[in-house]
Amino acid sequence: MIHSRKLESDSPYLTDESKLSGAADMLFIPDDEEDVVKIVVSHNSSKTPLTISAMRTGVCGGCVPKEGDIVSMEKFNKIIGIGKDDKGYFIRTQAAVTVKDLNEIIRKKLYSELQNITDDAIECILSERTDYFYPVDPTELNGSIGGNISTNASGPRTYKYGPTRDWVRRIRIILSDGNVLDILRGEIKAKNRVFSIPVDGKNITVHIPSYEFNRDVKNTTGLMTGPDMDLIDLFIGSEGMFGIITEADIYITEWHPLMSNIIFFPSDDNAYNFVKEFVNSHIDPEFIEFFDTGSLNLIRKSKKNDPKFTKMPDIPDYAGSAIFFDISNDENIVSKYNELSQIAKIYGGSLDHSWCGHELKDRERFFAFRHSVPQTIFEYVASLKGSMPGMHKMGTDMSVPLDHLDEMIDSYSEVLTSKKLEYVIFGHIGNGHLHVEIILKSMDDLSKAKKAYRTLALRSIELGGSPSAEHGIGKIKSEYIELLYGKQGVEDIKKTKRELDPNWIFCPGNVVE
Amino acid sequence: MKYVILVKQVPDTTRIKVDENGNLIRQGVPSILDPYCEYALDMVCRIRKPEDSVIVVSMGPPQAKESIFRCLELGANEAYLLSDKAFAGADVFATSRTLTAFIRKFAADYDLIFCGKQAADGDTAEVPAETAAMLNVQQFCYSENIIISDTIKVTQNYNDEIRVCTVPKGSVLSVSIGDINRRVPSISDHIKALNIEIKTLDRIALGLGMYSVGIKGSKTKIESSYSPRYEHSGKIIDGTDPSEAAKLLIKEVL
Repeated sequence: MIHSRKLESDSPYLTDESKLSGAADMLFIPDDEEDVVKIVVSHNSSKTPLTISAMRTGVCGGCVPKEGDIVSMEKFNKIIGIGKDDKGYFIRTQAAVTVKDLNEIIRKKLYSELQNITDDAIECILSERTDYFYPVDPTELNGSIGGNISTNASGPRTYKYGPTRDWVRRIRIILSDGNVLDILRGEIKAKNRVFSIPVDGKNITVHIPSYEFNRDVKNTTGLMTGPDMDLIDLFIGSEGMFGIITEADIYITEWHPLMSNIIFFPSDDNAYNFVKEFVNSHIDPEFIEFFDTGSLNLIRKSKKNDPKFTKMPDIPDYAGSAIFFDISNDENIVSKYNELSQIAKIYGGSLDHSWCGHELKDRERFFAFRHSVPQTIFEYVASLKGSMPGMHKMGTDMSVPLDHLDEMIDSYSEVLTSKKLEYVIFGHIGNGHLHVEIILKSMDDLSKAKKAYRTLALRSIELGGSPSAEHGIGKIKSEYIELLYGKQGVEDIKKTKRELDPNWIFCPGNVVE
Repeated sequence: MKYVILVKQVPDTTRIKVDENGNLIRQGVPSILDPYCEYALDMVCRIRKPEDSVIVVSMGPPQAKESIFRCLELGANEAYLLSDKAFAGADVFATSRTLTAFIRKFAADYDLIFCGKQAADGDTAEVPAETAAMLNVQQFCYSENIIISDTIKVTQNYNDEIRVCTVPKGSVLSVSIGDINRRVPSISDHIKALNIEIKTLDRIALGLGMYSVGIKGSKTKIESSYSPRYEHSGKIIDGTDPSEAAKLLIKEVL
């Protein structure tokens, strides 16, 4: 059954965590794949734009409609089954299952109502002595698997486990003509940058853009490309441009006990320099995250004013910056700590000035600590919307090779300070991927921040990085496609879009205008 | 001073869900150090002097070592796990008897014993008082504050009565309040804890007979359990006129 209703102008379906505001006439909520096909076919025949939505946790306005209607996949929230192949166990899930729910089911082994996708997979996984988990941690755990695939979401653990792309085995996607494409990784490969996709008894020819996709850094700027790439990789990270994902197979991996740690340093520079040696040490962290002085002060303030944060540990007064990382809690942990201690001492840190936690309860508190910075910024920007409706979040998402991180950090400071913008820096330092959140106070700040962002995006490209490392492009950053790939790159993406969605119904405004 | 802290590992009750039949779904629920036990440990860590000895002891299965380890990270410097298949199914009587046997045999020269007021899974709140009775010492349950100078003074809160008592050495205290913001150990604390052995003692080591421990040594059998209902009579004040309602409320309260 298709649930539908007219959208009011203040509907929550017209925005996401970017706080960008959109406009649409109708909201459609399908119950099953048949409903999705009906919605898509009717929109395609009337050439009515259809923006795909689910949990609305994106930060680039990908699910925020410019016009037309919205299809919300929120009822596709069931985990279907478990299977096993040569690469290991995978979970078959509908598109709107959240990363949090997926991991909860796996952790609690709540498999009794799931199907065996391959013979005896459930019995097999239950007989295993190890536990399993889905290792991609996109920070926002309430985001849907479909959304994560659409944006090739990553997060702190990409440092060790790679982005969502590396964990997707199969997707099921509804194309603009209503045909259902079931893509299993490895089944359809491009030849000389051209796909021939068998659909409904005929073949659709799809050209891959001519630019080279940077895989040396975390990167979600534009479509992935490659001369003989897998078809599934064209859809992963395509931000809803080509169709609606209804179902996916997601690999899971063996879980191991972890120790979460935060080491405090006197200043930002101390922490940067510590990380440079940390990444070359014998310690094998799952991720390395950074908080600058401003971020720590923001957390201190949130903790004082917001009851949500009361259970968070108090940040010590001596802390000027912090490095957060997980390591395997195994028999070598003391030697790893000894090595860490040596490095930390050089840069004014000490294992006495640290936190660690191995119980889930404590580890979750550390992650809440990590999440409190972006969360506070989201809430702050939302509070400005009343007096400044055009306001939206301005946070950078740029990655550079680790060797060039110093230069990028210098650029952040130079550009933002020269424009008198207040900012905090935090994030995935281990991947050369820091988030700079600009604390906007006026619409004038927003306009200055947009100019600064462009300058910084160019700088990240000059340094061999990406202007959008993990959040995707959405509607906020589409101009950076041209910065990175030139006019030809934009035209190439449009060509691919026209080949798969000739009437341009899906998510207009995402990635390219 | 020598402090003994009796602790228990419990399922993290904030994560337990109830199925359609009203049964607790424990599968996949992580175990934690009981929060009240952690309050007791925190209280001891606040009052201890560097030369004091803090012994932590727990009766439980081998995995209870994880919770004992947390106590070591947070400041305890000696640890024991009382573990034996024969201990399974112990009620409060058999549990208290086992803990008492440990204290008499391995920590007889203690100064004070601390416990959480109750375990978050069983909620009986009887082990502290029963252990005190078996040791033939005084018990000070529902303690909220302790001051040690020439004497030891403790504030007990029974909800309807608050008492400040002088505590003789050898007493058992149960702690009912603490900082909900769990302390976080440092990496140095963790390394220090790794160097302390958690000694495991079984029934024989404690000198207890088969029929003194576990289900065989228990005096009670649980037929059903439910949360008590507290009903307080109230008075409704008509709020049509807020200023009149406020006057009536002040009159009632004062």
